[in-house]
Amino acid sequence: MWLYEKKLQYPVRVSKPDVRMAGYLITQYGGPDGELSAALRYLNQRYTMPTGRAKGVLTDIGTEELAHLEIIATMVYKLLRGVPPEELRRVDLGPHYAQHDNALFLNDANGVPWTAAYIQATGDPIADLHEDLAAEQKARATYEHLIRLTDDPDLKDGLRFLREREVVHFQRFGELLDHVHGYMTSKKLF
Amino acid sequence: MARDKEKQPEVQYYPEIPPLELATAYVPPQVLGRTFTPAEAVQYGTLFPELYRPYPYGIKTAR
Amino acid sequence: MNGLESREQVRLLREIQELEFAAVEWNLFLDTHPENREALEAYNATVARLNEKKRAYEAAYGPLVHFGASASAYPWRWIEDPWPWEIDY
Repeated sequence: MWLYEKKLQYPVRVSKPDVRMAGYLITQYGGPDGELSAALRYLNQRYTMPTGRAKGVLTDIGTEELAHLEIIATMVYKLLRGVPPEELRRVDLGPHYAQHDNALFLNDANGVPWTAAYIQATGDPIADLHEDLAAEQKARATYEHLIRLTDDPDLKDGLRFLREREVVHFQRFGELLDHVHGYMTSKKLF
Repeated sequence: MARDKEKQPEVQYYPEIPPLELATAYVPPQVLGRTFTPAEAVQYGTLFPELYRPYPYGIKTAR
Repeated sequence: MNGLESREQVRLLREIQELEFAAVEWNLFLDTHPENREALEAYNATVARLNEKKRAYEAAYGPLVHFGASASAYPWRWIEDPWPWEIDY
């Protein structure tokens, strides 16, 4: 089961409100390569992983991604705090305001709602781990795009943290892949 | 097969003798070295200097 | 919402963030290197320091984790503001 710790994993700061950036950042909340996709992908795949090590890695990284979801939410919350509707309308976020006011919602930067079509679980551990490796690279690349889209140094620091986490996760999935590959290969000999 | 699985009764974490197999992706395993302090680690995004890959935005990477 | 937290609360939270992040990194490393003794000792040492800091924080500001992880003073402190996304770090 899951417990919640009343503390962010990272001390999120923004220098000032930025509505347009909030609209871009939301892709890492409800978009295809965002933290919700990552969390649900790993937490769902873990049920059919073959070894304790694999279940551990997927559970732990999946849980950390939920913490990152909270970081993105905090960034968007701070970027929108105190912003009047006129400002949202000015940067073409009027549709968002009409439906959600300043609330967050689980869609991508184009307003497309999150879908389970963003994730897969083939039940083949090797295939699933390759999807996980790809997901970490896509997330890393998206954070690089977002870092370039803002000139807020405080926000950039948080995005750099999240980007580096994807690099580390990629490494762990890579290490796990070798372990699972070895396990699957040795199993076939019995 | 180049590798004799019977000599390795349990899953070998660090393969003793690569030859690497075809149609297989490999990521080299991390070997533990020094670590950042916890305060540094939060700034860098990792505890491990060898996993730190800063993003050099504004600089064109190798083609 | 702003300004409910004191600088002292933020300072303690940041110390906990740092130690807990180290613990997460050791945890992930151990998941793929389960027989590395040095890593396990580092993890356990981090856990000990982290728990000290958490108890100190909770004594002043109430439970950090819900659902039975730690007790609360009266009245029920878990629901107190500020919540993490509202804090100025």
